[in-house]
Amino acid sequence: MQFNRLMLLLHKEFLLEFRQRYALSGIVLYVLSMIFVVYIASIKVRPEVWNILFWLIVLFASINAVVKSFVQESGGRQLYYYQLTDPASLILAKILYNTLLLLVLSILAFGVYALVAGNPVKDLPLFTLVLGLGSLGFSIAFTFISAIAARANHSATLMAILSFPVILPILLTLMRLSAIALRLIQDTSYRKDIVNLLAIDAILVTLSFVLFPYIWKD
Amino acid sequence: MKRFLTIILFMAIYLPGVMAQGNRDFMRETGKIYVVVGVILLIFVGIVAYLVRIERKLTKLEHQLKEEKQ
Amino acid sequence: MWWKSLSVVLIVYTILAGLLPPLKPGITRVAPESAHSGQVIRLQAYGYNSKYTGSDAKDIRFWLEYDSLHALAAQELRVLSDTCLEAVFTLPVRMPGTGQNAYLNAIIDHPKDGVSLLPGALELVQGDSAERVGADWGIGLVQDLHIIKDFTFPYRNVIYESIRNTYFHVPMWFALMFLFVASVINSVRYLRNGELEYDRRAAAYAETGLLFGVLGLVTGMLWANYAWGKPWSNDIKQLMTAVALLVYFAYFILRASFDEPEKGARLAAVYNVFAFASLVPLLYIIPRMFASLHPGATGNPAFGSQDLDNTMRLVFYPAILGWSLLGFWIAGLRIRYQRLEDKVLQIEV
Repeated sequence: MQFNRLMLLLHKEFLLEFRQRYALSGIVLYVLSMIFVVYIASIKVRPEVWNILFWLIVLFASINAVVKSFVQESGGRQLYYYQLTDPASLILAKILYNTLLLLVLSILAFGVYALVAGNPVKDLPLFTLVLGLGSLGFSIAFTFISAIAARANHSATLMAILSFPVILPILLTLMRLSAIALRLIQDTSYRKDIVNLLAIDAILVTLSFVLFPYIWKD
Repeated sequence: MKRFLTIILFMAIYLPGVMAQGNRDFMRETGKIYVVVGVILLIFVGIVAYLVRIERKLTKLEHQLKEEKQ
Repeated sequence: MWWKSLSVVLIVYTILAGLLPPLKPGITRVAPESAHSGQVIRLQAYGYNSKYTGSDAKDIRFWLEYDSLHALAAQELRVLSDTCLEAVFTLPVRMPGTGQNAYLNAIIDHPKDGVSLLPGALELVQGDSAERVGADWGIGLVQDLHIIKDFTFPYRNVIYESIRNTYFHVPMWFALMFLFVASVINSVRYLRNGELEYDRRAAAYAETGLLFGVLGLVTGMLWANYAWGKPWSNDIKQLMTAVALLVYFAYFILRASFDEPEKGARLAAVYNVFAFASLVPLLYIIPRMFASLHPGATGNPAFGSQDLDNTMRLVFYPAILGWSLLGFWIAGLRIRYQRLEDKVLQIEV
């Protein structure tokens, strides 16, 4: 795995995204419409509900944003990558790219959601950190699962089934941390939760590296 | 498998209610010992149901083998 | 095979040793349940499994305990029956600490039964009769307790005899854990050398683990219905177990969704390892962050030292081993069946 190869792959992901802009704008539209549904359904959102709904919106938007990262690439192109690069840099490039994508998405979602449903966040730095950690965790888990799901027949359904149990520990920790940022619970030892989250991320990244070659070869 | 699961679930949720109606809260009598009886029964039924499932599959396999020999 | 006989012996032992020994004597309730300070009350205590008539009334001691330092001793004590004691207490005017009311623990020490305790038995409310002179709190009264050492299980309020479920409901969970670990190990072995036998084993262990998981969940719901009042209370451990089961249901759906069995086996093995790694935080980190009704709730995923006493350990550990071995036995049958089926299908092709 080389650094410039990684950068090249990352560059390729961005290029692909800009060439097929409809995919990105589709996701953005998805987030916006979900937020408006929330707004229409309940105009006054209590902070507890705000927290849960926000993470649900981000969760579903993330699944939809990441699921295409392997599905969209045809068998021929996969073979082409296979000859050009090694699996470790490929999965790392995808994870990095998806992290950035999800970060942008979740910040956008937060902005619009705060505008529409009010902004109960009391500790903005912590909340931003939680958004970043969330994007990282979601990106790692979803990228890897989408690589598995892309190999199967009904990949979109399978993606949801496979990723839900895997994402749950991350999601629960995130919701708890963001509840702390909203001052819904008092907890001064939230640093431990952050460390836990990073530990989960580290385990999942390591496993992605080790296991990806087995998905990759055909 | 699904059918067995429903039966087990049914037993766990529905039966205690029935017993409670018939005899003034049967399950809570004598220090809730019948909860233990119920738990052991559920485990037994669950394991037997799984064994029955394996046996059925085996029977099917045996039939398959017999047909091939003929 | 010796371990199969061992599992049978252990399970028989578990059922006998788990059901036959009696519970330690306990106090179910006292009447009345609340009193004012400065009052003289006649208190009746109802025992469970107790033999109050078994010894002289003067040898039985009965206290109301405020905290580890302050307590009151009973003045007149009469044994009404094996399960009923009556005693007179003169409640002091003042509480030792601050606060308008306190919950006093009832402690009965009996030479033959040993000591039994009911936490928060009597609610003591600060009365307005300040001029009346009551007794004073005794300091360090509760001592020289009779500790009886015999093969009995601890008495716990609310759950009573169903404490024996520890030997039947809890080992399901251990068996599930062992089986899932075996499944992951076999998935790793399959990925390393591509031998189809390992994939068969991984799938069979996962399936048997699912069986035990469902049994653990269902028996837990039955127990919860009578211990916590409802079968499902969104307890964090109930949720986590349900999610653990979902992982393995997803595993089987993934296996089934490929046309080529070899490819499905490989991807399922990959998912097995990945999902198991994410189960570890689910089972060991997350439960520490949330409150739980299960014992050992705050900060401890397993049992605390107060939840199991030495007698229970004598049954609990063999129970875990026995049920787990039974799980592996059943999984072994499943593996042998799958081996046969694969062979038959090969002949047909």
